[in-house]
Amino acid sequence: MSLRVLEAFKFRRRNTVIHLLDPRSKFMLLVAFTGASLMLSDPVTLTVLLIGELVVLAVAKAVREWHRSLRGFSLILIMVFALNYLSLPSNKLFTSLAMTMRFIALTTAFSIFFLTTTPDELALALEASGVPRDYTLMFTMSLRFVPTLARDLQVVADALMSRGLELERGGIRDRVRNYVYLLVPLIVYELRRSLMVAEALEARGFGLSKRVEPYHELRFGLPDYAITILSLALLLALAYAHLSGYYARVLEYLLQLPWP
Amino acid sequence: MDAVVVDRVFFSYDEVPVLKGVSLRVRLGEVLAIMGENGAGKTTLIRHFNGLLKPKRGRVLVFGVDTREVSVAQLSRKVGIVFQNPDHQLFAESVEKEVEFALRNMDYPEEGVKERVEQVLRLLDLEKYRSRSPYSLSVGERKRLTIAAILSYDPDVLVLDEPTAGQDFINKMRIKGLIESLKAQRKAVVIVTHDVEFAAQTADRVVLMVSGEIVCEGPAREILTAPELVMKSRLSMPQIAYSALLLRRRGVALPDTPMLPDELCSELIKLVRQNVA
Amino acid sequence: MSQVSFKYAGAREYAIRDVNFSAGPREYVLLVGPSGCGKSTLLRVLNGLIPHFYSGEFKGEARVAGLDVSRTPTHVLARHVGMVFQDPENQLFLSSVEREIAFGLENMGLPRREVRRRVEEVVRLFELEELRYRAPYELSGGQQQRVAIASVMALEPEILVMDEPTANLDPASALEILSLVAELVEERGILAIVVEHRLEIALQYATRLVVMDAGRLVADGDPREMLEKVGNLVGWPPVVRAYELLKSWGLRMPGPPLTPEEFVNSFLKEVKLSGCSGSG
Repeated sequence: MSLRVLEAFKFRRRNTVIHLLDPRSKFMLLVAFTGASLMLSDPVTLTVLLIGELVVLAVAKAVREWHRSLRGFSLILIMVFALNYLSLPSNKLFTSLAMTMRFIALTTAFSIFFLTTTPDELALALEASGVPRDYTLMFTMSLRFVPTLARDLQVVADALMSRGLELERGGIRDRVRNYVYLLVPLIVYELRRSLMVAEALEARGFGLSKRVEPYHELRFGLPDYAITILSLALLLALAYAHLSGYYARVLEYLLQLPWP
Repeated sequence: MDAVVVDRVFFSYDEVPVLKGVSLRVRLGEVLAIMGENGAGKTTLIRHFNGLLKPKRGRVLVFGVDTREVSVAQLSRKVGIVFQNPDHQLFAESVEKEVEFALRNMDYPEEGVKERVEQVLRLLDLEKYRSRSPYSLSVGERKRLTIAAILSYDPDVLVLDEPTAGQDFINKMRIKGLIESLKAQRKAVVIVTHDVEFAAQTADRVVLMVSGEIVCEGPAREILTAPELVMKSRLSMPQIAYSALLLRRRGVALPDTPMLPDELCSELIKLVRQNVA
Repeated sequence: MSQVSFKYAGAREYAIRDVNFSAGPREYVLLVGPSGCGKSTLLRVLNGLIPHFYSGEFKGEARVAGLDVSRTPTHVLARHVGMVFQDPENQLFLSSVEREIAFGLENMGLPRREVRRRVEEVVRLFELEELRYRAPYELSGGQQQRVAIASVMALEPEILVMDEPTANLDPASALEILSLVAELVEERGILAIVVEHRLEIALQYATRLVVMDAGRLVADGDPREMLEKVGNLVGWPPVVRAYELLKSWGLRMPGPPLTPEEFVNSFLKEVKLSGCSGSG
């Protein structure tokens, strides 16, 4: 499993309906899809759910990224299927398929959210929900500095390798010990950086007002209301199906179909 | 043989081509300046010299050895790279220990270590800071420390990435002196820089890079004084060379292309005296 | 600033000592000196980072835009003093240029409409329309510094302070940034105080040269006059060195020149005056 897995969770800037939705309604959608994946336990309805998610993905023009990361997940999927298949007493194929489908549906749900929502929007959504500005800023800034940190790690590794630190060969124990050498310069460097960032924050007037009007306003539009209502409807419908025993009967019916 | 041979190297980051067919030779006893604007591929290129990066196509030979066959730690014995930002590299408890680090990694004989460290500290004017923490040193001293840490194991090729960035005048002169003494010891020195004045003062040969390709290569005097070349690579001409160009345009005949103040002035004085006589 | 001295907590010596300095609008002050001379410390007094952010012993009095630095918190001073640092990476915190510019304005507690207005104005003024929605890491060093300056200028400070802003930039970008600052001084009438090492690029814009060494001011005045004094400390740009060399050979020209053009003009004028023909 390489870094390809992360492709499905990296934001891509596109101008689709989904991208333009308020992050809060997208979050509702995420909750709905997640809830649905957990409440359904058969391959048939889960496939229907997945198709629904794929439709959303298609509208967001993000199917390619999803597909690429799916290939990265393939090892885990095989494991999920195999473990279930080998450990279940009965209904092996049925349940194993269901569990695998559930895994895919869950990751796809999250993928939809992260592919179409910028960290900034996330922070805004948090702010609008009442989280104090200090924390949402911390959140945004941590995300913003992740690629920077990754690059710094590489530079530190390069610099130390150029002084003879062996990171490419050797036994596990030696390599781990050598990697530890990277920690000190990296930590010191990042501490220094955070000092400089703090200076710059102060110089930009941070801390002046407690109550701040954010530049971007999050406003709910018609599509947002539609999505939120549909999401809630989905959740409620499924909850009802469970509580009233309706789903249990559907499950029974599906199980007795001729499965290989 | 040449110290480093870069043979038609192609390299990409994440499918974006950064080096497009670069060929280059680094020779002992010579100071080579690799110049170009930020993003031209200079830093990527030098990372191939000690194997930090391996070419996608083409090859890099260090004293005849292909960089893909050995590890970076091994290649570093011959090619030392001093990176631009000292703070990415310093971590030891004392200046002494910092310089020792590379020696210990390379299994230098124990008896020689102390002496070698002493030598290098003296060379870079850092002996009085011997037991101090690297972080207590000033910007210029930290820069010298990173150079010391690499010079400690006496590589045949020293590569300096932007050695003068953010350095004050006094430190720049020190670094210049160091480069000259290394050249006298028949080492190869490669500096990556966009500081044309420094290149004019220290470089023998200059290579200009634009968008991952080498657009020209030659003696410093030829390259740095040619206005079209300098403009193409988004650099500026050394002030003296530019002054000479302006003087020539106004009808003053200058024989050669001066790059340094003394050269220009001796020519000008000569002209003035001729006219008086 | 009057007799200002500061010693960082835990330091053995004073970083700056008995500094007397004053400057007004429409000045472009170039502050130079060997590393460790106290330039960065002085800059940080100007926006209150010293003594509020950095603890230590502070002596003397410093007033910026009429406010007493030791008694005014940094975020209030930020409205009058904008500070731009060396590494653009550490000054751009958010994920788009637009939000970055809005950030300082939000901090000021300005109403949304005002924030929008100023953001539009700044985007237009600094020609950031194309870069508006891009993330900071997608930009080149020069662009990043331009955004940093724009974000700081959005607060409409009277003073712009810059700590080695071009250290990580190539010469073309460095020139762009320094000339951008010169424009701001001329058109907006701000006071710009810039710390730089690359005299050959920065000198041509300065209206005043201030030199520090070991914590004290050793020179403060017209760039040309000050230059002659400080060669050994900060180095002379090549044309100034050429000027000095010619002087030592007996050829005195008006100067010192701050650019190659000035050098050439002075030389030709001088040589013609002595009755020599300018052309060889």
